Amino acid sequence: MIVCVSVVGHQNNPLYIQSFTDADDALKLHHVVHCSLDVIEERVNNPKKSGTTLNEAFLGLLYPTVNYKVYGYLTNTKVKFILVTTDLDVRDTDVTSFFRKFHAAYVDAVSNPFHVPGKKITSTTFAQTVCNIVGSYGLN
Amino acid sequence: MVREVAESCVDTMLMEMVAMYSGRFYANKPELAARRIEAIGYQVGHQLSERYTMERPRFSDHLEAIKFICKDFWSEVFKKQIDNLKTNHRGTFVLQDNKFRWLSRVSVEPSPEKETEDPSTPGESKAAQAVSMYLYFPCGIIRGVLSNLGIPCAVSADISSLPTCSFVIRVKA
Repeated sequence: MIVCVSVVGHQNNPLYIQSFTDADDALKLHHVVHCSLDVIEERVNNPKKSGTTLNEAFLGLLYPTVNYKVYGYLTNTKVKFILVTTDLDVRDTDVTSFFRKFHAAYVDAVSNPFHVPGKKITSTTFAQTVCNIVGSYGLN
Repeated sequence: MVREVAESCVDTMLMEMVAMYSGRFYANKPELAARRIEAIGYQVGHQLSERYTMERPRFSDHLEAIKFICKDFWSEVFKKQIDNLKTNHRGTFVLQDNKFRWLSRVSVEPSPEKETEDPSTPGESKAAQAVSMYLYFPCGIIRGVLSNLGIPCAVSADISSLPTCSFVIRVKA
């Protein structure tokens, strides 16, 4: 089950963060997202020669904590999407397709002429679309 | 669902934008009008770059990003690719479009004498100045795309021979 999704800008400024569970502390999830930013930086700056290519958008599993798994995705414009999930068995293809739909929703939200780049995303349509994507992810 | 708009609407809007900014808002200050139009182009380029880089893997260097602009981005926005790309390998790129779509309807006055080119004739410079106002918007778009990809730069346009148009990109080191 997805507990949190987040969009972080290219200066590591948070653009959107949404948690989908009341059980866990929202602040703890924000902290997990923040720590995963360091992992992304490390991944990008020191590319692993074996396996993953340098230029893939999907960064894969960033780091597993006790309860959560954190996945990352880096766009061409240095915007990072972070997904925190509590599922134990997660297929990469599911996460990749989730990020693709999320990316499409993000592009639509940013194309809003009233959106100021660098400021938080305040579009309710975006929030609704994200809820729908998270809802349909759980059903697969 | 993708919604489409007739291209004539885009053309008319661009013409009206230049007319408003240089005629009404900043009537006697063409530099301010140019700066404002370029800023609008910057925001548009910023947003378009998000959309058109969605499917692609990340760019490894500046040349890849410039090639993306020449091929994919230009085809999406202008339905054709850049015809010629030149670089001095030290941060300057010249993108040449032999039939720039937004200037295709601008009338080209045939010069009376071909042998002696007199750049100081007032008629020619006024026409050139009028056309150059239309180029600030595409320059802004290119600058917006590149800065969103992490490449700060300055973009200028050169219209010495219509309808060929060259965009000069200088990457800030």
